[in-house]
Amino acid sequence: MLLASGTCGYGQEYAGLIPLDEIGGLVTKAVSLEPRPGNPPHRVAETPGGMINAIGLENPGLHGFIAEKLPWLREHLSRAQVFVNVVGHSAEDFAAVVSGLDGEDGFLGYEINVSCPNVKGGTMFGTDERALADLVARLRGCTERPLVIKLTPNVPDVGDFARICEEAGADGLSAINTFPGMVVDISRREPLIGNRSGGVSGPAILPMGVYATWRARQTCGLPIMGIGGIRNAEDALQYVLAGACLVQVGTASFVDPGAAVAVHEGISEYMQANGVARLEDLVGALGARPGAGPAIPAG
Amino acid sequence: MLNAGGGVAVERAAPVSRRAKLLSTRFVARDTWWQEFDCPDIAAAALPGQFVMLGVGLDEPGAWLLPRPFSVGWTGPGGEVGILLRAYGQGTRALAKLEVGQTALLLGPLGRPFETEGADVECVAGGVGLAPFIFLAAREASAGRRVRLIYGERDAGAVFDPALIASLTDHDPELFTEDGSAGRKGLVTAGLDAASGALLLGCGPTPLLRALAAFARKHGRRLQVSVEEHMGCGIGTCQGCVVRGADGRWVKACIEGSVFPAEELDWGAI
Repeated sequence: MLLASGTCGYGQEYAGLIPLDEIGGLVTKAVSLEPRPGNPPHRVAETPGGMINAIGLENPGLHGFIAEKLPWLREHLSRAQVFVNVVGHSAEDFAAVVSGLDGEDGFLGYEINVSCPNVKGGTMFGTDERALADLVARLRGCTERPLVIKLTPNVPDVGDFARICEEAGADGLSAINTFPGMVVDISRREPLIGNRSGGVSGPAILPMGVYATWRARQTCGLPIMGIGGIRNAEDALQYVLAGACLVQVGTASFVDPGAAVAVHEGISEYMQANGVARLEDLVGALGARPGAGPAIPAG
Repeated sequence: MLNAGGGVAVERAAPVSRRAKLLSTRFVARDTWWQEFDCPDIAAAALPGQFVMLGVGLDEPGAWLLPRPFSVGWTGPGGEVGILLRAYGQGTRALAKLEVGQTALLLGPLGRPFETEGADVECVAGGVGLAPFIFLAAREASAGRRVRLIYGERDAGAVFDPALIASLTDHDPELFTEDGSAGRKGLVTAGLDAASGALLLGCGPTPLLRALAAFARKHGRRLQVSVEEHMGCGIGTCQGCVVRGADGRWVKACIEGSVFPAEELDWGAI
């Protein structure tokens, strides 16, 4: 399991708080070609069953990431696997970041963010089938490292976009990014968030994330990282049974920095209690009751 | 080590996350509670101006509450961490209902503390902005130093029990209320002394901090302020709690503050 992009900084922030090398790994905050200053405040607020954020992809840019963030990841993590979340305004931007990073050590692969709802054009690639196919194919030509596409739920059928990613050469999917939302401050009669709208995450979106994972599993054979609203092992196992082979813990880490550790331990306890030898036996195993023998993988 | 403001940076301990038992809770003013948690790690390491993220965690089925930042209001010899909690909304109301013996999740100590370097100090507090100055005054008193503590509230009903302040800090605050129902009538800034050369420290609502910044600029006074902005994590990962820095950058209140020398901020944008 991994800490989700945007909720764990660049890893260093969690040093000393949780044993990063024991949970699986993390996905970094987004990296763009040029530094981005981010959005004005308020950038975050609590919502019923979740939170809304519009950070605006603040990040030090490709060269800043290589100089300031990557060395810590390289030097301080040994077992933890790192994916670098990549954003861009254009296909050229995405390609420049991936090409610029590809010769560096300290990370395993890329999570391509085609689904951020908090910047102008942030979901452009994730909601346009042709643009997504072209982008994935182009990035496939830039790297041999694992290429994971982070899908937006804001499409008629996530399954269609999952299949497009597979056909264009992606290695995996992250399902899902946040839902666009708005909170109104009735005393000021203005949107509460400085960007006016933001992305909603947290337990409120758990069933939508599980559904998106299940749909993606039905239409393609790529490994899926399930993400959205996971608080505990029970939530994570819903994703696994719906088809995810990895999960990401995001907003829950704000409530308890140890949430990911608890999810990790809870999954192991569930497997022990149910006689499951390998997590793979649970992946997409809807309908296979505990004790009914090995599940037959779907798809 | 020099900090961004040119002063000597204070060594800060790494934050820890601890489930801590509520030892006592006391209703001290309208919608306001003084809570003490059993949290020796944070009590031993916290410095005045630092804060904790306080929440209930993820253990309650169905419960969902992001943690809220609270200034460390006091630390006791038995490992107690005191906070001053004013219930503004759903989250703070839920925290106010915690009962003695229940536990909460504390993450801290967090942020940049006040850096007083043994200077004469005047603390200006608006509302629950009083909390870090209770801690500071208590620390200074135990070192045999006194600080000037100016405290303003809207009216008498909101005033944190002066006797409790005195018992915690060995200081009697100079009290102002806007309607004159307790202490002197007027805004807390009426207590400022233009002739003083003391280091000014401010904590409270943004309009108060703006007024302090203007006063400090006009009279050539050094000022440090503790700012607050909606906060997600408290450790710099979510990048949610930004304020505009004097250099035009968005600076993170949680790790670059929450205490800033006034000249590090863009007061036209705050």
